[in-house]
Amino acid sequence: MNNKLIIAAAGAGKTSYIVDAACAIPSGNVLILTYTIANENEIRNRFFEKNGGIPKRVTIQTWFSFLLQHGVRPYQDTLKTELFDKHIGFFLSPQASGVKIKAGGSLRYNIYYAEDAEFLKHYFTSDMKIFSDKISKFVCRTDQESQGLVFCRIKEIFQHIFIDEVQDLAGYDLDIVKSLCASVESTLLVGDPRQVAYLTHNEKKYAQYAEGKIQEYIRDKFGRRIPCEVDNTSLRYSHRNNSAICEFSSRLFPNFPSSISCNCANCRTAITEHLGIFALSEDHVELYIKKYSPLQLTWDQTVNCSSSAPRMNLGESKGLSHDRVLIYPTKEMSKWLRDNTNDLEYRTRARLYIGITRARYSVAFVLDRRQVNNISNIEIWAP
Amino acid sequence: MQIKKVKIKNFKIYKDFSFEFKDGINLVVGNNESGKSTLLEAIHLTLTGVINGKYLKNELSQYLFNRERVLEYLVDIRAGSKKLPPQILIEVYFGTAEHPMFKGKYNSDHMDDYGVALQIAFDNNYHESYMALIESRDLTTLPIEYYKIEFIAFSREVVLPRNIPLKSVLIDSVSNRYQNGSDIYIARIIQDDLEDKEKVGLSQDYRKLKQNFIESSHIKEINKKIADKRVSDKKLHISIDLESQNAWESILVTYFDNIPFHYAGKGEQCIIKTNLAMQHKHSQNANLILLEEPECHLSHTKLNQLLKQISENCESKQIIITTHSSFVANKLGLKNITLINEQRTASFADLTTETYNFFKKLAGYDTLRLMFCKKAVLVEGDSDELIFQKAYMIQHEGRLPIEDGIDVISVGLSFKRFLEVAQKIQKPVAVITDNDGDYQQNIIRKYEEYRADAKIEIFADNNNSLRTLEPQIVNANNSCLNALKTVLGLNTGEYGDKQELINYMTRNKTKCALKIFESSESLIFPTYIKQAVGWCNEQ
Repeated sequence: MNNKLIIAAAGAGKTSYIVDAACAIPSGNVLILTYTIANENEIRNRFFEKNGGIPKRVTIQTWFSFLLQHGVRPYQDTLKTELFDKHIGFFLSPQASGVKIKAGGSLRYNIYYAEDAEFLKHYFTSDMKIFSDKISKFVCRTDQESQGLVFCRIKEIFQHIFIDEVQDLAGYDLDIVKSLCASVESTLLVGDPRQVAYLTHNEKKYAQYAEGKIQEYIRDKFGRRIPCEVDNTSLRYSHRNNSAICEFSSRLFPNFPSSISCNCANCRTAITEHLGIFALSEDHVELYIKKYSPLQLTWDQTVNCSSSAPRMNLGESKGLSHDRVLIYPTKEMSKWLRDNTNDLEYRTRARLYIGITRARYSVAFVLDRRQVNNISNIEIWAP
Repeated sequence: MQIKKVKIKNFKIYKDFSFEFKDGINLVVGNNESGKSTLLEAIHLTLTGVINGKYLKNELSQYLFNRERVLEYLVDIRAGSKKLPPQILIEVYFGTAEHPMFKGKYNSDHMDDYGVALQIAFDNNYHESYMALIESRDLTTLPIEYYKIEFIAFSREVVLPRNIPLKSVLIDSVSNRYQNGSDIYIARIIQDDLEDKEKVGLSQDYRKLKQNFIESSHIKEINKKIADKRVSDKKLHISIDLESQNAWESILVTYFDNIPFHYAGKGEQCIIKTNLAMQHKHSQNANLILLEEPECHLSHTKLNQLLKQISENCESKQIIITTHSSFVANKLGLKNITLINEQRTASFADLTTETYNFFKKLAGYDTLRLMFCKKAVLVEGDSDELIFQKAYMIQHEGRLPIEDGIDVISVGLSFKRFLEVAQKIQKPVAVITDNDGDYQQNIIRKYEEYRADAKIEIFADNNNSLRTLEPQIVNANNSCLNALKTVLGLNTGEYGDKQELINYMTRNKTKCALKIFESSESLIFPTYIKQAVGWCNEQ
């Protein structure tokens, strides 16, 4: 049992680190779990770049596909014997699943199928696809009921498990992480609690750990029985953000050690002017885009922005690198930009952090005319 | 790696069958049509996806299904019931905890185990067209086009046969060949022994060879010629198919002392294949050798040689051998025998130690006779055997019992040893025995435990004054003693006293029995012998 949580700054070379760590393990099978398919492909590609291919003993899988294959199916009839002959599929549920009666009229809240009374409807769609927000609960229950068969089997297959983007796991997922840490030879949990964009699901269970509180979960629930080292430094150096961006973004999370811009000779050499953090008036957006061609980042698609440069949602931009970004802050974000002591809800804070840390050279915020005049701690760009 | 159990449902002769294996040598003994070959076929099919040397997906037919199940199904459908078509399920349980990817509870035992199953089942995607089909009620064959074939690990993971970690080699009497004559099995055996690097090297060399061929001056000339014949606007030329990945497999021919393997004698082929398979260095490949009736093509000496090699080299390999031959059975160890009879199995290892040791001591004895006959009649010695055979022949137009599948086995005093085996394999057995002067003790009490067994019948006379066969014969022919004397080759004046005749016959047991057997005159046989003959006629 050798467990390690690494807090990784944006652009610190997380993927490379994981690939190197996997290749460095001398024996045993390695499982690398990611949350998104995009991330899975990135790791796959990195293996080919660094190693010429993926070693036979390394498996790369998304979290849900892992849960379905190794968590659900081998013992799927443990909780309900009638599941023995069923083919269980997977359903990515955008909202809380298993709604029995929808809210409406005098009913203010949805009513859901209860686990014990309507087991099948609680966990599955009518064509036997398990809901994404219940799958980890199903796995935990199955393991409990079968006296630990699930994790015992996983331990036989994989001796080392890496989990990428561990900050996105929520609810029963966390219990699965705990069980994995307690059973296999070594685990490597990598993530950035500052970058929770989308949780695997919105579960009431462990809501207190939802906002990037993986470290707190480990502290509270692992206890002394499952030792887990927390490493704040190995992936602290950003190969993407320059020092101005590092410094500025770190203000969003003063409780974390601030990220540090790397000193590599080859990182960030293409551009030497207009570096750092800027603000500009909405009147100048077109000129700015013409001059610097940034990636535009907005809260969602409804935000008005220029059509002359590509646009993306802040949350979706996670994992990407861009030379320059142009962020359209929300009202709350603007308040925080004006005065960093202003309160900012975690979800908004995390997305702002994600947006800022996409840039290698410069980050600019689009403000209205009045706001531009009010801001004092950010350099104003004007044509 | 080994297998510990195979379960078969609805495949060929098997409706619902289970067979357990042990490490090392397993001898499967059974009569013709008892399903020995099908058992090997089922294992090989599940581990490789290959049947009769071809891929199952091209070979799927109604004839793979249990005939009775298919008929039941067709009758039901024609009667208007909506029934799921029968499904084939073959499960192979691994004997070692080595491949956790194959571990789970998705098996008919519902136990956490390692293994893989072959399912040939109705594909629900065809639900609508199937409903339309059975609605018509006009179904004369199994709707095989609506089936799907799946190899599923006990973890419910669908796998490809080539990803199944346990490999089997089937060595049977039929050789299956590629079009060029090279033998599929031998190509496979050799292939399984190659390292990945060697395989890549081979296929690259083969590719180069083809490339060189295309670039040869002759081909170029031909292509020039073709190009000149303007048959189309597009350029026409000939080339070699470079696409198939493993094409080298099908062009390789194995030579054996400069003779292509398939020109070697069948017996030699069998020995080579077996030895090749046993010498695999890969620990995970070709661990399971399935050998079908090795006695078929081999002379006594060659068979001896092969069996010796098998028993010496089998430590790390599991070998499943089907056989008819008592020689093979005795040579490879009786404790390795499992009998198949009417879809039941009985292992010699389960027998009581005394019985097991008894059969073990009978070296060279025809241990398998009991298994191969339709019914068996156990007698004490030669004279009883001859007398019974004669009594049978008289009732059956001169046919010997064996011609009707009834084997008369002379077992000395070891009736109960044979009965123990007979009970295990549910074989109908009759015992013909003397009462030795105490019917109550020697018959009733001695065979008490078999009284309830419908398949076992004891025939003996309850008259304690007629202790053995000879007084029984004399007594039966009391009214025509002279005829008896004639048959025995005696003068009618000799042995006037009945007891003297009995004494004479008892002193010359076998000689007298032979005389009776060979005589064309008919005698009267003791009732219990006639009853035994009657038992033979029962269904």
